[in-house]
Amino acid sequence: MMGLYDTLTPSIILFVFALLTVPVLRIIRQHKRMYGSLCILWVLTIFFMVTVAVARIWINYYASAEENPFSQAFLISKNESHLSSSLLIDSVSTYMAVVYLTVGLISVLYGVLALRDENRLSERYLALMLMVLGSIIAATFSGDLLTLFIFWEASAAGSCLLIIHKKNPESIEACFKYLVMIIMASGFIVYGLSMIYGLTGSLNFWTVREALMQLPDKRLLIIAFAFVACGYAIETAIVPFHMWLPDAYTAASASTSAFLSAIVDQASYYVFMRILIYILTPPVILNWPLALAIFSALTMTIGNLFALAQTNVKRMISYVCVADIGYNLIAITSVTPLGVMGNLFFFFVGGMTTALAFMAVGILNALGLEKLDDFSGIGRKFPMTSLSLIIAVCSFSGIPPFAGFMSKYMVFTAAIEGGMGWLAVIGVLNSLLQTGYLLRLVHYMYARPMRRKFDETVKEPRTLLIPVYALGVLIVIIGIYPSIVLSMIYPAAQQLALLLP
Amino acid sequence: MILLLAFLLPLLSIPFLCLINRESKRKPAAIVAIFSILDLILLLYVAPEVLFQGKYVVSYYWMPMLGAPLTLFVDGISLSLAVITLLLIISSVVFSSDYMEESGSLWQFYALMALLTVGLVGVFITANLMIFYFCWEFMLIPTYFIIGGWGYRESYRAAFKFFVFTHAGAVAVLLGIGAIYMLTGTLDIFQAKDLLATAPQDFLKWIFIAFTLGFAVKMAIVPLHMWLPDAHAEAPAPMSALLSGVIIEAGAYAILRISLGTVFPLISDITVSNQILYALSILGVISAFYGSMTALAENDIKRIVAYSSISHMGYALFGLSLYPSVEGIVGAVLHLVNHAASKGLLFLNAGTIMKQTGIRDIREMGGLASKMPLTAFSTTIASFSIAGIPSLACFISEFLMFMGGFQVGGGDSFYYATTASMIIATVFSLAYALRLIWRVFLESSKIEEAQDPSLIMSIPMVFLSLIVILLGIWSGPLIHLISSAGIS
Repeated sequence: MMGLYDTLTPSIILFVFALLTVPVLRIIRQHKRMYGSLCILWVLTIFFMVTVAVARIWINYYASAEENPFSQAFLISKNESHLSSSLLIDSVSTYMAVVYLTVGLISVLYGVLALRDENRLSERYLALMLMVLGSIIAATFSGDLLTLFIFWEASAAGSCLLIIHKKNPESIEACFKYLVMIIMASGFIVYGLSMIYGLTGSLNFWTVREALMQLPDKRLLIIAFAFVACGYAIETAIVPFHMWLPDAYTAASASTSAFLSAIVDQASYYVFMRILIYILTPPVILNWPLALAIFSALTMTIGNLFALAQTNVKRMISYVCVADIGYNLIAITSVTPLGVMGNLFFFFVGGMTTALAFMAVGILNALGLEKLDDFSGIGRKFPMTSLSLIIAVCSFSGIPPFAGFMSKYMVFTAAIEGGMGWLAVIGVLNSLLQTGYLLRLVHYMYARPMRRKFDETVKEPRTLLIPVYALGVLIVIIGIYPSIVLSMIYPAAQQLALLLP
Repeated sequence: MILLLAFLLPLLSIPFLCLINRESKRKPAAIVAIFSILDLILLLYVAPEVLFQGKYVVSYYWMPMLGAPLTLFVDGISLSLAVITLLLIISSVVFSSDYMEESGSLWQFYALMALLTVGLVGVFITANLMIFYFCWEFMLIPTYFIIGGWGYRESYRAAFKFFVFTHAGAVAVLLGIGAIYMLTGTLDIFQAKDLLATAPQDFLKWIFIAFTLGFAVKMAIVPLHMWLPDAHAEAPAPMSALLSGVIIEAGAYAILRISLGTVFPLISDITVSNQILYALSILGVISAFYGSMTALAENDIKRIVAYSSISHMGYALFGLSLYPSVEGIVGAVLHLVNHAASKGLLFLNAGTIMKQTGIRDIREMGGLASKMPLTAFSTTIASFSIAGIPSLACFISEFLMFMGGFQVGGGDSFYYATTASMIIATVFSLAYALRLIWRVFLESSKIEEAQDPSLIMSIPMVFLSLIVILLGIWSGPLIHLISSAGIS
């Protein structure tokens, strides 16, 4: 059994050291030459401690996973559990913590390196990244709707500040848009939560679940569900609530976009999955799969169609993010063990791939290349960056041996298994469309002559490519040998049987 | 262990390619050729076991959670196709060491070739649908960049077309694979075959259609052939040889192994299965006619050969539609081997002619026979084989297929009609083959200067010519090897 504070240690470490980051970096800033390396050392130290804390949770959980698959920790005593703030440790949340740590480490390092190159590395930015990561991890471990909401909103507020960090008009506008959206979303969520509390007398996942099972009249539940789902749909950027996402990701600096798409985006899918599958388990409690399937089809199609029309590469990748949400939802709708596996796999791989794409595009953006036209012929001038972008493109399009393939395979198979063959077909067609426009990007990079003239001295930033290739290599390794990840998520797929009657 | 090594060996050549001098022209070719020869030796090492036991299977831990162990498998059919693939790769690589001398960044070209080898050989030597799909799609990326980066004219456009078409086909295959996993919980084709027996019939029909549609795109069966003429004509000659010799034949092999071998036998409704075979047969005839007639009308030397490939895939599909006739299937597989050798040779010849004369329109050529005797000789061998002249490779396999056609026709007179049409189509094949030889080599001379290629380019041409002749006069052992698989 893990206690509340044991489970919160990763987040607490991140919060405390995020606060310490500001004074510490102020001090080391005086050593101008060592500044970058010391920053990296600082980040690595923090992540090392967090890794140890997560490993401790992991080991403790799996020591007793057989008899206690959904382990809970309470703030107050267990008898008043319906009032108490609580944490939930199960195979899904421990896995998610690993995902956030891996991708988070790489994207924070990228952020440090990229901003050091631009001489804009501020203590605040780094501290914010750590704060957001901490609250996301806490949100993942939370065991009741209110704790989830609080940590989730904290991370959203942090994301706002990350987006605005560039301080140009576009980023301010995008941040404002995002802020309005999340405030509206939190209104919806709180309203829905109040109804659920009224219906069940609790906000704890399991108490709510059990109370809802007994619920004779489900009309109010549908309304409550609509509010909560609507709120989280805004934060997840499901079509038709997706407008803020492309703006925000295009306007933010590359490291922010990579970080947000890999961490915050994946966390929002996780929240969606947690609420829909673990609380509102269909068909016993609420039969939502068909409704979600329609939104899923809509999200992929709209995301891909808009991506097709973009001329700004970063914006195109942002729309790919929107399309990715649709694929994730396919897996959620199936509610099968394979669907859960596909989903969890997608959290990892989809996050890594979008982060990789944003990082690679960010390197090229820093060189002044933004439009699709500017990318003409860069394959020869910047070979390593282009190669990393090809890895991202292949992984997005689902071409083996890149990891994106396995996630798409599992998602589509799960859809067929869940009796949603039509959704699988739409997904496959979308995937084709995606391949088409992403291949067009490759076509520009290799088939066309250079449009911009660069000096001989302009070279790819070698150090920035290290985190990019760390992700690229991970994508290839997981693609060739998916068992590394599959063995982590297999218990979650088996535990799904405990939820379904 | 041997098969796993044979599967992954080409990858080992890549570190060597990175280490050697980036500017050298011949060394990278030599490295890839040596590794391919080693690969061939490894494959031949399991040949005795295949001959005596019928097959050779090994299995390793890979993804048990998704029912996908790393199963490698060789039987007579896979072995003969994998061996001809490697022979063709070795020939192309040796050929390109001089053919590609004017192009830049050659070590990348050969690294892509090595990657392609993994995919190509892997498709033939696995019994697991997941690995099959991995290799199937893995071919796309190197092919895209080889066609695009080292091809002619608007090469990236052709490569784009190739990529999108075949990927679209592959996606249909993926749906089929997903459906099989859902129904059986395994991805091993032999286990799946047993477990699928209880699956709903209606579903099986759709799985069959999804698979066959996907494979037919790669096989370039009319009306899904649009990518082929561009891709084959714009690729550099060694790549065209591989595209035509192996990649499109992987489609035919997949139809045989997966569509017909795994899914089809379980369709118990006779009318449905007959309709399917009729459709395959008719599509084969259409492709054969369309390909050979278009080849007759083309003037671009590589496009003629490309259209001839469409026509010959029509033959192969016709042979497959005779399932489960032994003659038909053995003939079809033998035709794949023979066609690989002949068409690979013909593309290498076309590349030689283009390189030595600098033109690709056959109307501007003529009289090359006296100037390039060796090329003339090997081109004649290749195109006569393609035309189905006895004593050369393709004759035997076509003959076997037609024999099978008449046998099946005894039970179902529909096949008399398609077999007769196929025999008529061979006349067109002869016509474009003769036209090619006449226009390029025999007509009055229009080209002042031309000569035979260098020794290194000649070696693969002579080698493949000998193989074509050998397969034509002594195909007994190969037929024995193929029939030992007992697919019917």
